[in-house]
Amino acid sequence: AAMRSRAEVDATLQTAKLKPAELLPVVHCLSFGPQPGGGECCLLQLEPGLCAELEAGHSLVIRGEKDEHAVLCSKDKTYDMKIADTSNMLLFVPGCKTAEELNADPASCNIIHSQIAGFSKNYWELRRCRPKLKKLRKLLMEDPYDGPDHQKDQTSTFSKYTTEDLLSLIQASEEEILHQLQVIDACKIEGYWRILDFDYEMKLLNHVTQLIDSESWPLSKVPLCACLEELGSLEPREMIEHILLSYGRKYVDAGEVFFEMREDKICRAIAQMLLQNAVKFNLSEFEEVWQQSVPEGMTTRLDQLQGLALVDKSSRPETIFLLKVEDLPEDNQERFNSLFGIREKWTEVDITPYIQDLCAEKQTVGALLTKYARSSMLNGVKVYNSRRPIS
Amino acid sequence: VIPPLSHSPGTGALAQWVLLELQGSVEPRQSGGLAGSLLGDLHYTREGVPVLIVGHHILYGKVVQLEKPFAVLVKQGGAPQPGPAGPHGHYTVTALIKTKLLFKTRPKPIITHVPKKV
Repeated sequence: AAMRSRAEVDATLQTAKLKPAELLPVVHCLSFGPQPGGGECCLLQLEPGLCAELEAGHSLVIRGEKDEHAVLCSKDKTYDMKIADTSNMLLFVPGCKTAEELNADPASCNIIHSQIAGFSKNYWELRRCRPKLKKLRKLLMEDPYDGPDHQKDQTSTFSKYTTEDLLSLIQASEEEILHQLQVIDACKIEGYWRILDFDYEMKLLNHVTQLIDSESWPLSKVPLCACLEELGSLEPREMIEHILLSYGRKYVDAGEVFFEMREDKICRAIAQMLLQNAVKFNLSEFEEVWQQSVPEGMTTRLDQLQGLALVDKSSRPETIFLLKVEDLPEDNQERFNSLFGIREKWTEVDITPYIQDLCAEKQTVGALLTKYARSSMLNGVKVYNSRRPIS
Repeated sequence: VIPPLSHSPGTGALAQWVLLELQGSVEPRQSGGLAGSLLGDLHYTREGVPVLIVGHHILYGKVVQLEKPFAVLVKQGGAPQPGPAGPHGHYTVTALIKTKLLFKTRPKPIITHVPKKV
């Protein structure tokens, strides 16, 4: 089709009874491009900050397998994607100038032919969400590292994941993934991210705590070099250092590297080691054995076990059993169903460690409880139970 | 490997496009679809009010600076349409849209007394 001429435009204005004197001299003649179908182009509504990121040259990534809901990831945040319908038609036009732009630039021409690149009745909306990190642990648990001698198949890379692999499989931003790898004490062995087999991890920890005891080092000042020297013949040096990094806080004093051992974390790991051997334990017996099992100078406390173990105060005698928050479902409703399946009524104090990680940005545990649970009073104490009958 | 959404390398700054929002749908005048056909003329009054002449209608609109800008994503390759679970596929960010011209007022019909001079 031939392009409109200025004469035709002016004729239309005359028919429309619009006064050219009241208009800016430049007209945009809009036509549809050769592929006006909205199918190839779509609109993504940007949350604050994302526009600036794109303009700075950073990328956004859409992640998700066919069976997962897609998420959008920036460098450090994750967003759920949802289609929003409008009843209006949205046309996107390249090279379309605003009135200010036209005023600012006295045009040499008075007609601009603009092609509509595409149109749509809907767009993608973003909503910030928790990164979907449960899969990360699941992947790394496919092949936990249990020492250089016991590698099932040293050359197999089947269930081993590099950073790139994880980026393509996990629905989270790179920063969120790298942070989580640190939180779960993963380490890189030969380029692959590995989680330690728990028994192996305890074996390494035990080497270190025994050495601390035999050398009478203060728990707050454990020298790295001496550890590597004394234990290097038993285990790989990287593993010695890794266990110190996992269970201690590194610092430098007079040019030498030391670790301040983390009492809470060590006590917690030892508790897990004890608890994983039975369905449940007599609480007072457990507390006695536990205190005896931790390094000299460390004190055990039940609050070290938040999100790891649960005390049943209603049984006689009181018991304790292993319940790890990381073993529970990631989805909010499924998490609450699971918790109410384990125990019908929860106090806020007991349930908080098991739902804390569900809180979205600026959301409180109280808000979650209001949404997913019903409260009542039991013996003068406020308790929460399921909103729906649990089968 | 899912490639990141970014603008094509080497194009410098991202293009800025404009969104036109119209009520209802756009129908082709003739059969044969919209491709290549004219939509209409877009003018601005001296006060900056956008005026769109579409067919026999005059639409007055307003300029809206979008609180949440849009990114225009273009699908690469001949992959199928986005399914219910999400827009799986390869996309590039082609442009940003920070401004929209919203035409919400009911169109004023153009009454033709005088045949158009062409």
